[in-house]
Amino acid sequence: MTDSVLDTGAGPAAPAAGAFPVAGLPADASGGSPKTLAIEAIEMTKRFPGVVANDRVSFAAAEGEVHALLGENGAGKTTLCNLLMGLYRPDEGKLFVGGKPVRFHSPRDAQDAGIFMVHQHLRLVESMTVAENVVLGWSPSRQLRFSPRKVETAVAEAAERFQMPVDPKARIWQLSLGERQRVEILKALYRGAKILILDEPTTVLTPQEAEQLFSSVHDMAGAGRTVIFISHKLPEVLSVADCVTILRQGRSITTVPTAGTDADDLAGLMVGREVSLEATTKVPDVPGPVVLELTGVSARGDLGAEALREVTLEVHAGEILGIAGVSGNGQRELAEVIAGLRPTTQGQVTVGGKQVPDGDPRAAIDIGIAYVPEDRMGTGISPNLTIAENLVLKSYRGKNMRRGPLLSTRKEIANAKVMIERFDIRAPGPRTLIRQLSGGNIQKVLLARELSSDPRVLVAASPTRGLDVGATQYVRGILAETARNGVAVMMVSEDLDEIFELSDRIAVFYNGRVVGVVSTAEANRQQIGLMMAGAS
Amino acid sequence: MTGPFKIERRLDTPKWLKVAVPIASIFLAAIIVGILLLATGHNPFTTYHQMYSASVTADGALSSTFVYATPMLFTGLCAAFAFRMRTWNIGGEGQLYMGAVGASATGLVLGDWPRPLLIIAMILGGAFAGMLWAEIPALLRAYLRTNEILTSLMLNYVAGFFMYYLIYDSDSYWRDLSTPGASVFPTGKSLVPSASWPGITIGSFTIPMGFVLGVGLAVALLGLIRSTRYGFEMRVMGDSPQAANYSGIRTKRKILSVMAISGGIAGIAGSSQIGDFGHVLDPRGLEQAQYGYTGIVVAALALYNPLAVVLVSLLIGGLTNAGFALEGPSFPTGLVGTMEGIILFTVLGGEILARYRIGLHHRAPTTVGQAPASVTATGAAS
Amino acid sequence: MNSNIIIAVVVSAIAFGTPLVLAGLGELLTERSGVLNLGVEGMMLMGAVCAFFVSQKLHWSSALVLLMAVLASMVAGAAMALIHAFLTITIRVNQIVSGLAITIFAGIIGLSTYLGEVWNIGGVAGLHQFNSVNLLGLKNLPIVGPIIFNEDAFVYGSWVLVAIVMFYLYRTRPGLYLRAVGENPAAADAMGINVTAYRYTHTIIGGMLAGLGGAYFTLALAPIWTDGLTSGDGWIAIALVIFAFWRPDLLVLGAYLFGIFSALGPTLQTRNITVLPSEFYSALPFLMTVIALAAASTSWANRRVGTPASLGIPYTREEG
Repeated sequence: MTDSVLDTGAGPAAPAAGAFPVAGLPADASGGSPKTLAIEAIEMTKRFPGVVANDRVSFAAAEGEVHALLGENGAGKTTLCNLLMGLYRPDEGKLFVGGKPVRFHSPRDAQDAGIFMVHQHLRLVESMTVAENVVLGWSPSRQLRFSPRKVETAVAEAAERFQMPVDPKARIWQLSLGERQRVEILKALYRGAKILILDEPTTVLTPQEAEQLFSSVHDMAGAGRTVIFISHKLPEVLSVADCVTILRQGRSITTVPTAGTDADDLAGLMVGREVSLEATTKVPDVPGPVVLELTGVSARGDLGAEALREVTLEVHAGEILGIAGVSGNGQRELAEVIAGLRPTTQGQVTVGGKQVPDGDPRAAIDIGIAYVPEDRMGTGISPNLTIAENLVLKSYRGKNMRRGPLLSTRKEIANAKVMIERFDIRAPGPRTLIRQLSGGNIQKVLLARELSSDPRVLVAASPTRGLDVGATQYVRGILAETARNGVAVMMVSEDLDEIFELSDRIAVFYNGRVVGVVSTAEANRQQIGLMMAGAS
Repeated sequence: MTGPFKIERRLDTPKWLKVAVPIASIFLAAIIVGILLLATGHNPFTTYHQMYSASVTADGALSSTFVYATPMLFTGLCAAFAFRMRTWNIGGEGQLYMGAVGASATGLVLGDWPRPLLIIAMILGGAFAGMLWAEIPALLRAYLRTNEILTSLMLNYVAGFFMYYLIYDSDSYWRDLSTPGASVFPTGKSLVPSASWPGITIGSFTIPMGFVLGVGLAVALLGLIRSTRYGFEMRVMGDSPQAANYSGIRTKRKILSVMAISGGIAGIAGSSQIGDFGHVLDPRGLEQAQYGYTGIVVAALALYNPLAVVLVSLLIGGLTNAGFALEGPSFPTGLVGTMEGIILFTVLGGEILARYRIGLHHRAPTTVGQAPASVTATGAAS
Repeated sequence: MNSNIIIAVVVSAIAFGTPLVLAGLGELLTERSGVLNLGVEGMMLMGAVCAFFVSQKLHWSSALVLLMAVLASMVAGAAMALIHAFLTITIRVNQIVSGLAITIFAGIIGLSTYLGEVWNIGGVAGLHQFNSVNLLGLKNLPIVGPIIFNEDAFVYGSWVLVAIVMFYLYRTRPGLYLRAVGENPAAADAMGINVTAYRYTHTIIGGMLAGLGGAYFTLALAPIWTDGLTSGDGWIAIALVIFAFWRPDLLVLGAYLFGIFSALGPTLQTRNITVLPSEFYSALPFLMTVIALAAASTSWANRRVGTPASLGIPYTREEG
């Protein structure tokens, strides 16, 4: 069954398993000989166009160990796991499972080797039962018969054996998110998982569910399995993991046992000590009046879990409030709530003292809220329409674009020409289809559109993600200028450098809450990094 | 995908290709059908010539072509308009029936009105009936998110039975009970002569008023889609529902109004059947003709462009006309549908060529600036 | 009421319903995989004409000829379905348009009529026919005798098929996987199930069964070929699948119910027992379906009985 994936080691200068000195590889606590390595990655490299996601990453985990992969956004954690589970193939590097070299061509190969991953986005068929989902796609004995009762019994027994309590007869839609995650884990264990990878598992869990998860993780480790989990949350890592590997900007920095370390150390490694105290380029202005205000705002995320928990924030005219935080802590939902794309369950949003009607994008636009979304291609633009049309995506209702009852194409084009000029948009012409443009130019179109409506508030989410150096500088310049013109700017970014460069104040998001608001002049990266990781 | 060749999506389809591909596809279809004819003992050239003559050159041929083309023009516009916005209204058939019912009722009740007003009333009567019939699936889709394909399809049957009931199974207002034969052979009441719509005679052929009306509608729809705020919102919704929501477009209302217009147009198809032709409600004839479903096919061939619908309706109308006119021992029956089907297959398949291209493997497609956003969006590290 | 009337109505309902059951089961499987096939009418007609051709031109023993004719109908239906599958799954043409194209291509104004003429098989009585069998010798039992024990092989075959499809859907692995493909192709794909293969297979099977349903007309009902013989049954089969909420047990009940309604109307009328017009009964199932679809859209109901979630939507794998 696993023959196809065993590489009989004909590669050049492949280091033997265990020979590579991984910093801090744990001996077991009693000081005896090291446990068997369940999995070992040596100098794994994976490149994508324009970025090296993993740059000679190495780490190892022993059998029965709980191993955390810690890092900020863009550190390379998910890429590494996708390499481990066979979704990607490494450009360079070697992988050893149970001491034997392996090469995976597909997730099936990894599963044959006992490696399973539980993703953030669960792969469950809602209308089917737990038992049906657990056996979906899994017919080891090539049996054609499917007896619901037999399968339910088998799954019930497995749930018992693996201490993952779920009701095999329950339908997925009846289960809470925590229970659904348990089904996913049970799926993996049922198929013989020896190494389980969990991708940010506590994102959608309540604190109690998270506790249950950690207890299950300990049980699994106790039974000799290896659990690797991706996290950016320091408290979690310190309490659950035996060892942690810190990744930063695509490289593995080091691997340390959690017993001998603390939050400060880890945060420092995550963030990088070199840039702790830097002078900011932003000169703090005298803050204007409060324009945008959120009071006790709570909202649910896409999967129904709470994404925002009683958020209270204010943004002044002329300032840039940077929203820092590892992605997935509610920042996206925050932006959507302000833009009216997501309803709140509690609290209110006001602009200039006037309450913004909940969950109504048109009202938000009319009251002067401009929004540059993170998902440019999917939400921010209409990909098969022209640049000119996209530029009037919100202003087409206004008087300027009218010619009698019609939408004036002439005015639309004229407007586009002005925008193209002013924002230096590189395109053949206003009638070019917008999806032909580069990412940077699309972003310029978005900014041009949003700013041309003369907004009072601008919410920009990940404004420079995926852009080249030139475009990035340009966009940052626009944002700074916008603030200077008196607009209240809220900028969500995963890039701390950017936050420090542009913001007057920084609000840090963790677990759907604002855990701190500091003025940039007084802040340092270490402190922010700690807050982002939930440790302060 | 291995190998030196690579199929990738075009970033922009050159205009000439957009027109050339459908035309080339139709020629390909003609060749394929020609081969089929040969294989079954017919001469393709004489057959095509016969068809051409029966639909264009023979006495009264062109007029007949227009007769068939007119309802297809309306139902084609009905489908094209709705499909563009991804509201799949396949209820054109039932909306046409209801339009016919509405128009004939209007024509019968208001029979003593002056002719121009009567005709306008019939158009409106049919349009309203079709509109209302389309709003049922529209409301269900907008507010309950019920799949409109399934609901509009079901309502076609209901409309058909309703129409049958009016003429064949009841003593309804629509039914002609005046003659002694009428109770044995049910027929609809004939409308007054002034309710018949005038045609425009050009030389040897006549264009029904309905067709002219349809062309006008096509132009109006094109203008609506291209030059108004309403049309702009439609285009955004059809392109990206998320972007539409983001930009403040009221999507529920849009669905209701687009379906209403679409259904209204199909309703006018029904009015035209009463006003231009028949002058009487003829359920059997309408059901056999299946104009509603044919309209969807016309719309697809026209790539959902209203002006192209006019041309395609003439093409299919001409084919249909030829099929009926030539019915007999010397002409293969069933050729029309076969031909239409093969044209559809080639045009739909050919659309692929317009959307994609086969090229040699190279780094990244050349565009403005650097690599397009869609390339860098994948594989983003985390 | 006279038992003869009941028997007559039920037998007529079964005759009406059998091609619906066959074609309906096929469409059910196709839609369960997420593909909408509006070309059923065309596939039925192709099945009918090809079956009749074989039945008229093959000079073997009756049983063998009928067998070959049945196979021919299934091949014809499968061929049409293959076109639909290729267009919608691989080329990703709009499923509505592709299905209608098949109906026009193969339907009453298309290929089936064309072939009927080319093969010169129209208007002549069929040489072979599936006759009613006297099952277990019980055809003379009161009431149930003529209804259950005196049907032809097609009818019995259709009953067996219903049982097979139910077993397949709910008691086999491939059936489970099929349901997953229809509900959530992304999840099924993630679990290693080949969504494309399932869709192709079940679309083609759907075509085969539609062809078989058409063959009922030319091999069993009144063996003769005329253009457009199935007179819209293909469309009714599509409606039936939705009416039955994609469940085979409800499908067969619905098919016979439709049959009863269509037979009942005229029967009641000739005996002057008309409260509601027969068209009302005929329209009722379709109206009920619309109401049921609306009710099923509420999330409460949708989880329990809903439409296969991916019906009509082409599947593309989102690469990481």
